[in-house]
Amino acid sequence: METSQHMLRTGRRGTLFEFSMALRDLVTSYHRRGLAWSLAWHDVVSRYRGSILGPFWITISMGLMVLGIGLLYAKLFGISVAEFMPYVAMGIVFFGLMSGTINEGCDTFVQASSMLSQTSLPMFTFIWRTVLRNLINLAHHAVIIIAVIVVFGLWRVMDVLPAIGGLLLTVVNLAWISMLVAIASARFRDIPQFVMSVMQFAIFMTPVFWKPDAFPDRHAFLTLNPFYHMLTTIRAPLLGQEADGLSYVVLAIMAVLGWALTFSVFAITRRRIVHFL
Amino acid sequence: MTDVSIKVTDLTLRFPVYGVDAKSLKKNLARVTVGGRLGSSQTGATEVTALSHLNLNLRAGDRLGLIGHNGSGKTTLLRALSGAYEPDEGQIEVRGRIAALLDLSLGIDPSATGVDNIRLRGRIAGMSSKEIEDKMDEIAEFSGLGPFLAMPMKTYSAGMQARLAFAVATAVEADVLLMDEWISVGDADFQKLAHRRLLNLVERAGILVLSSHDAGLLRLYCNKVMRLESGVASEVKDIRRLDELLAAA
Ligand SMILES: Nc1ncnc2c1ncn2[C@@H]1O[C@H](COP(=O)(O)OP(=O)(O)O)[C@@H](O)[C@H]1O
Ligand SMILES: [Mg+2]
Repeated sequence: METSQHMLRTGRRGTLFEFSMALRDLVTSYHRRGLAWSLAWHDVVSRYRGSILGPFWITISMGLMVLGIGLLYAKLFGISVAEFMPYVAMGIVFFGLMSGTINEGCDTFVQASSMLSQTSLPMFTFIWRTVLRNLINLAHHAVIIIAVIVVFGLWRVMDVLPAIGGLLLTVVNLAWISMLVAIASARFRDIPQFVMSVMQFAIFMTPVFWKPDAFPDRHAFLTLNPFYHMLTTIRAPLLGQEADGLSYVVLAIMAVLGWALTFSVFAITRRRIVHFL
Repeated sequence: MTDVSIKVTDLTLRFPVYGVDAKSLKKNLARVTVGGRLGSSQTGATEVTALSHLNLNLRAGDRLGLIGHNGSGKTTLLRALSGAYEPDEGQIEVRGRIAALLDLSLGIDPSATGVDNIRLRGRIAGMSSKEIEDKMDEIAEFSGLGPFLAMPMKTYSAGMQARLAFAVATAVEADVLLMDEWISVGDADFQKLAHRRLLNLVERAGILVLSSHDAGLLRLYCNKVMRLESGVASEVKDIRRLDELLAAA
């Protein structure tokens, strides 16, 4: 067991050893979770230093988009604003969490390179930093969600518990994707561009701004899109609808397989990541 | 508590060199499709051996000076001792709390104030928020930066940054202090203060490893000295034989 009093570093001793070291990194990051939190908080504060509204600027721009798209598309598609505005509001805010966590994941290790090359801080700390930073941003944007819930009286019909379950499953999945792109981006500098393109593509392919009513239930176009499952498990219950049970299952399986893959990649590359930077 | 010690056994550390070009995915994918070269890219990649078969044993009270030309591996050894670099071969074992002052700008956010940066550095160094607040006055006083602590760090000179970094790093109850070159940036007053703190640390039965090109500084702080040459270490010698080691250059 490694403590702050005792540090042991050795050469490779086989795959099992590499996995146990990776696990130790994870455990240490848990013991030092306060640090990840401090770093995340510092990021938010420093990004908006000197600005009066801070992260609420993004909230405002999201709010405007919700208002504009909510009114325009409701008219275009012939849906009532009361139905469409909350739908689009939640779509934009929660998709923002997904694209933020994944896009910023690309910078996780690159940004931390000076810390990684002169301290024994766990690498997972920086993954949590990115995830927590995006959750702090989400907490700001939640103002929009609360506004539509109040204005359109959704509090009468919404079901909070399954939405929280959906959010948890989503965050667990986003965390591994964020980590996987963090490792890949450290090694290959084309990855951030690639990830950004994928996320730009995804925002249009996922029912963020449009309703999937034109598709029969469980159409492959939807079920093959992981972001659809993430979004629907959070959004549907908040709109007073029931998300397809399949989506929860898909997210749970994806979480297990995704973490298994990401953790293995981490175990194998962990020693080298600091040299990639 | 266990005794403070550093034990390095047969340490070899190599840097894989990823060419700027090779960082482009295109090239790597091309390599895979061409076939056969994938294996060689894993084993035959260019590597710089920064440290080779290095052995080092330090006990409480040891103050080791590292000398050697640029690129001889001093910084790499300090980083390996801080736990950042994993050995390719051999083993590093450090008992005691480590404080590394390798890069002045570690965790420094230039647009944040001195006080905020003290908090940030303190958190990175392993202090809790409460510990930092408890020690804030002491750190602020030791840094001697006074009203500048409320100013953004980008307004600081290198010497002022050094004061802040040093003040925070030595505020942690560390047993092992690793320092790279820069200790000489501060002015005379600061050097005096730093000297007292370092002596204090050694009195608490700590270990100091300091890399420097300045023979005077090494004589001041160290009681032992080791010379690195292309990653190969000399014996650890008494500081009185510093001239001998320097002459071997
Ligand atoms: N990040 C790195 N990537 C590749 N090579 C490196 C890296 N850091 C140091 N080296 C190489 O390792 C050797 C030792 O460097 P260093 O420890 O910085 O020397 P010193 O501190 O004694 O000047 C040098 O040959 C240097 O080129
Ligand atoms: Mg150096």
